[in-house]
Parts: sequence; C-alpha cells; structure tokens
Amino acid sequence: MNLLTSDHVKRLASCLVLGVVLALMVGPQEGNQSDFGYAFRSAVFHPRIIVFLLIGVAIFVANLFWSRIVPYLVRPGVRPFVAGAASVVASYALLNWTDNTNLNNGKLGTLAPLARTTHGLGSIARVFYGSAVPGLYWLMLIIALLLTGAALITRRTAFGWAGAAVATIAGVWGLLAHLEVNDFLGSPDHSTGAVVGLLGYLAVAGAAITAVRSEGEKADTGGFLERVFGFRVGLPLVVLGALGGVVSLFFATWFSPTNRNAGLGEMSKLFTGEPVSSLTTAYFGWLVWILFVLSLAASAAACWLRDTRIGWVATAVGAISLLITLSVMHDASGVAASQGFDGATTAWQNLGVGAWLMCAVFSMLTGAGAMVARQITGRSGAPASSDGTAVRSAAVSQAIIVLVLAFALFYPPTATSFWQTVLVTEIGTYVLLAVGLNVVVGWAGLLDLGFIAFYAIGSYTTAYLTGTLPIRPPHWLLLSPLLAIPFAVTICLLAGLALGAPTLRLRGDYLAIVTLGFGEIIRIIANNANSVTNGPKGAFGIPTPVIHIGPINLRWGQDPLQYWYLLLVFIGVVVLLFRRLEDSRLGRAWAAIREDEVAAQASGVNTTRVKLLAFAIGASTSGLAGVFFASQIGFINPDDFLLNNSILVVAYVVFGGMGSLPGAIAGAAVLTWMPEFLKDQVPAEDRQMWIGAVILLMMIFRPQGLIPARRRAAELHGLEGVSSAETTAVPRGGAM
Amino acid sequence: MTDFLNFLVAGLSRGSMYALIALGYTLVYGVLQLINFAHSEVFMSGAFGSLIIINTVVGRGTHTLPWYGVVGVLLLGLLSGAITGAIVAWTLERVAYRPLRRRGAPKLAFLISAIGMSFFLSELAGKMFNRLNDNNFPLYFSPNRHILHLGGVYVTLPQLVPIVSALLMMVFLDRLVSKTKLGRSIRGVAEDAPTAALMGIDIDKTIARTFIIGGALGGAAGFLFGTAFTVSNTMGFIPGVKAFAAAVLGGIGNIRGAMLGGLTLGMIEAIVPTAPWGSNHAWIGIQWTDAVAFVVLVLVLMFRPTGLLGERLGRSA
Repeated sequence: MNLLTSDHVKRLASCLVLGVVLALMVGPQEGNQSDFGYAFRSAVFHPRIIVFLLIGVAIFVANLFWSRIVPYLVRPGVRPFVAGAASVVASYALLNWTDNTNLNNGKLGTLAPLARTTHGLGSIARVFYGSAVPGLYWLMLIIALLLTGAALITRRTAFGWAGAAVATIAGVWGLLAHLEVNDFLGSPDHSTGAVVGLLGYLAVAGAAITAVRSEGEKADTGGFLERVFGFRVGLPLVVLGALGGVVSLFFATWFSPTNRNAGLGEMSKLFTGEPVSSLTTAYFGWLVWILFVLSLAASAAACWLRDTRIGWVATAVGAISLLITLSVMHDASGVAASQGFDGATTAWQNLGVGAWLMCAVFSMLTGAGAMVARQITGRSGAPASSDGTAVRSAAVSQAIIVLVLAFALFYPPTATSFWQTVLVTEIGTYVLLAVGLNVVVGWAGLLDLGFIAFYAIGSYTTAYLTGTLPIRPPHWLLLSPLLAIPFAVTICLLAGLALGAPTLRLRGDYLAIVTLGFGEIIRIIANNANSVTNGPKGAFGIPTPVIHIGPINLRWGQDPLQYWYLLLVFIGVVVLLFRRLEDSRLGRAWAAIREDEVAAQASGVNTTRVKLLAFAIGASTSGLAGVFFASQIGFINPDDFLLNNSILVVAYVVFGGMGSLPGAIAGAAVLTWMPEFLKDQVPAEDRQMWIGAVILLMMIFRPQGLIPARRRAAELHGLEGVSSAETTAVPRGGAM
Repeated sequence: MTDFLNFLVAGLSRGSMYALIALGYTLVYGVLQLINFAHSEVFMSGAFGSLIIINTVVGRGTHTLPWYGVVGVLLLGLLSGAITGAIVAWTLERVAYRPLRRRGAPKLAFLISAIGMSFFLSELAGKMFNRLNDNNFPLYFSPNRHILHLGGVYVTLPQLVPIVSALLMMVFLDRLVSKTKLGRSIRGVAEDAPTAALMGIDIDKTIARTFIIGGALGGAAGFLFGTAFTVSNTMGFIPGVKAFAAAVLGGIGNIRGAMLGGLTLGMIEAIVPTAPWGSNHAWIGIQWTDAVAFVVLVLVLMFRPTGLLGERLGRSA
C-alpha cells in the first residue's frame, strides 16, 4: 500500500485537524477581552494536544485499514461488547454512584478515595473501591475487556468463559459495593451508576459467550432477537420479571425516609403496631411472596405451554398483585407520614426502589400473560413488506412496549426531584410536541419551522380561559386548565387551518420560510400586544389542573410526578390515536403526497384537504402540549416560544427517524435528556456545542435517524438505485 | 422628506447586507436544492475572522487614521472576512453535506446536519472568542463619523460601505456566473446535475466552489455587519433568518432575485414601521419590524408562490 499518495496526506491532515478541534472543544474558555487568542493558545500549545493528535492519527489509521477491520466488526458479539464497554466506562467516569450531598458529585472517582479509607465500611465495598489494589474497578474492567477482546479475535473458548466470569464478577461486585456504601450512609439513593455498570458488564459477558459459542462469521442481532422472543412468546419478560423480583425481594430498599433504608425484611418490623390495614401487615409478612410466586408461575406456565386460558389467568393474577402492591404502598407511606417516621412526608413519598421495582415486575408478568392470552405469535404478524426489509415480529415489539411502559410508569418515582422536573418540563413536553410535528414533517412531508407557534397559541388560550391575561373572558367562560383543552385544541386546529390554507400553493422551502415567519409573527404579537397578552411579562398565576367529577377529586400541586402521570395519559392517548392514523387511508394519502404530490393528485388524493388535515392535526397536538405547559409551569411569556425551539423540534423528529412514532419519541427524549446529563460533565455554556456535534455525527453516520420508519429504511437501503424526490441527494434541476 | 431619505439610506445599507448573505443561500439552493441552515454561522465566522485580523494588524483603534488608512483597513476587513467565510463554508460542505450526499440521505437530514453544524460552530466560537464584553471593531468605524451630509441626509461610514461594497460584489458575482467557465458549470449543475456530469463537469468540485463563493460573500457581509453593529457568536441567527427570507422573497435559486429580495426586505424594514417619517408617533412602530417583514413576505408569496423573480439559477443569470 502506497502511503504517500496525496489522498492519504489529505486524510491525515483532516484527521489531525479533527484532533485539534477536539482539543479546542475540551479546552479552556476564553480568557480576557484584550487577548482573543487565549483560548486557542492554551488549548493548542499545551502538552495535552499530543493526546488529541494521537486520537487523530488513530482515526486515520483505522480509516486506512478499514477494509481489514470490518470483518472483525461484523462478528457476533462485537456490538454488545462495544455497547457494554461504553456503558461501563460511562458508569465509572460520568454517572453518579451515590446521591449523598456530603460526598460532592458522587462520581466514582470522588467516592472511591473516601470509601477505601472509611473504617466501618464493609470489606466488599472497601476492596472494590481499591483498599487492597488501588483502582481495582478499573483493573477489573481492563482485564474483562482484554479477555473478551481476545475471545472475539481468537475465538478460544477459554478466553470467552474467563472474560464472561470476570465481567460478571466485576459487575455484581460493583452493585454489592454500591449497596453496602448506601447502607452505611443510610440515606435514600437515586444514583444509577452501579446499575448501568452492571448492565454494561452483563453485556460484555454476553459478548464473550456469544463470541465463543456462535458458529457464523457475521452477527445476526435481529435474527437472534427473533429466536429468543419467538421461542416462547413472553418468556423473556418472565425471566426479566423473575430477576427483578429477586432483586426487589432480597436486596432493594422498599422504604427510605430521610435517614433510613428499609428492605422488605425490615418492613414488617417497621410497621408492627402502627395503624396500617391488615392487608399491609399481611403483605409485608407473607403475601408479597405468595403473590410473586403465583404470578411468576402463572406467567411462566402460560408462556411455556402457550395456553390462552392460563394466559388470561396470569394477566388477572399479575394485575391484581399490582393493584394490591400499589394500595399497600399507599397505605404504608401514608401511615408512615402520619406517624412521622424519620422525616416521612406524605403518601406515595419516600418509597424506595424495591417497591416500585415490584410494581414493574408485576406489570411485566401481566404483560407476558396478556401477550400469550392475545395469541401474539413469534412469527411476523404483518405480511412481509414488499420492499424486502425485515419486519420486526409482533412478539418483539409488544415486549418492548411492555418494558417501556413499565419503565415510564415506575421509574420516575425513584428518580431525584431534579430529574422528575426535567422529565416533565423538558422531556415529556417535547415528546408530545415531536409526536405532533411528526405528522406534519414525517408523514405529510411538509417542512414546518414555526411549530412552536401552536404551542404558544395553546398556552395563551389556556391563560385567557383561566383569566390570567389582561383581557378576560366573560364570566361564564372562566375554566380550569383541563376544561380548556377542547377550546385550546380547537383554536390551534383553526390556527393550523389558517396557516395552511394560504400556503398550500407553496412547496418545500417556501413553506418552510412562511411557517417560520408565522411562528415569529405569533411571538412578536405576544411580545408587543401589551393590552391583550401582557407583553414581555406574560401571564402568571395560571391555576393548576383539577379534576372534580362526582366522587373523584384530583388536584395537581407542586409535585412534578403528578404532572408526569397526567402527561403520560396525554402522550398515550395521542400515540394510540396516531398509530391508528398512520396506516389509515389518511396516513397513506400523506405518504403519497410526501413521495410525489403530482402523482398523488393524479391518483385521486385530494391534496388540499390532506395537507390541511396534517397541519390541523399537528397543530392541535401542539395545542394540547401548550395547555399542559401553561398549567404545569403556571407562568408563560413570549420567551418560551422562540424560533430556536421550533427548529429544535424539527431536529428531534429527524434525529429520531422521520415518520416513525417511536423514533420521534426517542429523538425528543434523547436530545432533551442530553443537555441535562451534560450539565454534570462539561461547562454549562458548552452544552449546545456538544449537542450540535452529536446531531451532526448522527446525520453523517445514520441519516435515517435512531429508529427509522419502515418505509424510510427501505428508501435508504432496500431499493438500491431507485430514487424518489426525497432520496435524491444530488440535485436534479428544476422542481424538487 | 429628509427623514424619509435617512430611513431609506439605512434600509439600503441593511438591505445590501441581507442581499450579500442571501446570495449564499441562493447559490447553494441553486446547486443543491437545499437550505444551508449553517450559512448564518459562516457569516458569524467572517465577522470574527476579520475582527481578529484587524485587531492584530491595527490594534484596538484608539488613534485616528488618515483616509487611505481607513480604506486600507476596510479592504483588509472585507478580504479577511471573505477568506474566513470561504474556509468555513468549504469545511461545512465537506463535513455536513458531502458525506450525506454520498449516502443518499433524505433531504431533511441535510437540513438537520446543517443545524447541528450551526449549533456547533456558534457555540465553539462562543467558547473561543465570545462572552467577552467588547467585541467591537475599532473606533474609526464608529457610527457617529458622518462622511456625507447632503441637505439634511446623514450617511455614515458603516452605512455607505455596505452599499458600495455589496454593489461591487454583486456586479462581480453576476459577471462570474454569467461569463466564466466556473459560472457555466454552476449553472449547469443547477439546471440538471446528472446531465452536467455527463458533459464533463465535476459536480463535487462545482458544489464545493459554490459554497466557497457563497461563503466569501457571507463572510464579507459578516465584517460589514460587525462594523455597523457588534460581533458576537449569536449574531448570525437573526440576519441569517432575514437573509433566508430575502432569498425566498426574490425567488430562491435566483441570483438577481436574492439581490432584489435583500434590498427590498431591508428597505421595507426601515421604512414601513417608521411611517410617517420624522413624527414621534409611528403608525406601526419599530417593535413590529420583524412582523412587518414576515407579513410582506407571506403576502408576496401568496400572490407569487415562487418569489418576485421566480426560481432557477440556471435560467436567471
């Protein structure tokens, strides 16, 4: 190989430049105002630059020998190996291992020196944190990775099993050490480091075993999943449920007020003699075990025997167990609060991971039972698509839905209040917006850069109807926020029509600028029409939602968790409706005008009506999000509805995978979670920069997005050589 | 009347900057049919590039310069801004566009990669240079130095320079696109890329050069904008959006359209919200400037859905 062709020189140069840019990205902030070169010099003329240049060289070398590396990369086990190693490194370097405020940021690097010198801490933890061998946890990681790497390359059985053993031991040891530290500290803990580390290690162990056990040269992850989930429908959920149940029953904390971490064993002692219901006493004494075993057995039997009737029984047992668990949790936490247990606050508060994990376990078992009962098959339920791409079988997608639901329902209560707030105000709200915009951008193919305007209209409508704007509604129209939903949705629908009607003649980029202008006009009106919208000060004191129907009396207060469940209902309803919409006549008409408007028109699609409907439906979703936002946050002003937010929502939809509902949800969730996560890792001012880089890399290496829609995936990969208006990247003259 | 003329001059000045930036959007749209959302950051980098060069060469400018010194500094600023802009635009094409083109990515993926690049560049510039409290050009660009005083109409240096230099650059670009070989290949790619490729035009190279030309104009506009206002890492966003609107107003993909659209938008912004000129009680008020601009844009597009002059780079020049 001739190394000195000009092409190689160019590539090396660009890799080195990449190294310098990386150095600038992690380098210091700018210095003083008379010295513009400070940041540049102190990043570039610093010994550290060598590391970055070496990174550049490494990328160059990898690029040079790429064709020889690829056969190794597609081997079975490489992907879980990389993902697992990355999770463990992230867990060690970036995530918190404890929430205790006395221990600084709680990362492993801060915790370890303290833990290894603390007397009274158990030896499992002290050895893990390095009292015998400094940095033992890194050492174990390196050994596990080396052994597994050797297994992946040589495929020697001994390396594989040794790697798997070391990885499993390291992961479990880390978790035990973490639990011991938290028992020692005695304070409630929400950190995720140990769990992520364990999962990463398990992935590495799985990779090691896969490497030596599998026959083929190429990884077949999809086929593997199909086999696992297709073997016995629902069985993976049962296995996960069993593992989670064991963790919950034996290890996890069930109740954690200020200075206490009570496991299940201590619960019955804790509540002896307290005015709890007999159900609660029985539950902590023996009932929980019976329920768990019964439910597990029923689900396992149903899955194994593929018996519909047992499936229904398992569903019922799981659901009843879930309800009993929830009522016991409510009763116990309420009594603890009324008796003033060690700073316990109100009902539903202070419950530990164990209790919520038990709920998640019961819902997984219920889901497994329901899957058997509804006779979901392991083979693809839908007919194989004509474009030849693999259709994920119903068994896999249903299992994923059950897991996501269990996570969304029962993980948030165990998170810190900071993350609960982020979950509601950022992640959840933008997920709802992205799902709405997905209709306009992803399905109908209309680029809308002013989507946030409808969100603003929804919010201001709520403010008007609750009487918090200078211009007040007539007395009989004063409403509570939830009753404002139909009005706000209707008004947004009309606004969507109003925007859509005059702009329908416009194509592509003209539409983009008009919608962008519309968004700006709405914001400027909100900012300047003082007598109507209260100008830049905005509306404040918007009441919180209340439901008051007959015996039901729900009132939302300050707790973000309550809003999370409200939001979950909204998202759930919208997603269910849209899922039906996607494959309906309307959804297919959208796809048609997206692909080729002229052809669609010629085939009898009423393009005007269909486009207007896309605008209206997208806008009304946004209006719903606006109502939620206004009533949750309580005050709104024009700065909440900047053009930048509109652009970001488009970015979420495309990042997740245009035209795919799970994609839009995942894209919005990942990109709104990331800034909050980066807050602990990089200077706050640099977060946007890293997010920009992530978006850029995603588009370069995976332009179809995180979870691409089936149809789009086919466009990119399935139909070689066939181009449509959207897939044409190289310009064709004239109309797009 | 003199008040009106004052606003008109201000509008012309602002409009010619819009026009320069809009040319970048329109050129790229012509060859790729894509909105280059990161063009606003090219503009911003041009401002920073020229600011750094000028500060290095002539210092912070507390002393006065003779007239040829001012002209020299202006030329230096335009040149350094243009070169920085061209480099950034070329990098942008290599990093955010070419890999996606190779993969045959959907159209929106280009938009999002450009947005990602835009965030990245803007915040990297912020990290490197901004968040300082004084990013202004030296004093001899101070808006208070009137150089022309015609019957009550004040024309300041930062107003005059953009008009003159934008005019020169537009004439230059127009000649470039209509007369030279490069211009012919740009028009060829815009008209029909596959056929142009068959005729022996290197499409990748032509696209890269189109980015470079657009970037140079945008970078020079960045310098001009910086002298009139201030330099910051977020300075690109609003002029970028306005210039995009101007390009669409004139007919995106159409070079003369971008010039016309830029000048029109700048003048509308300066004149309409301030009417009746000179009175303290404007009918509309400057706080509605942006709204007026967008309303005019929407109205024009409702009656002429492809902009004032229609699209197509290939046909126009």
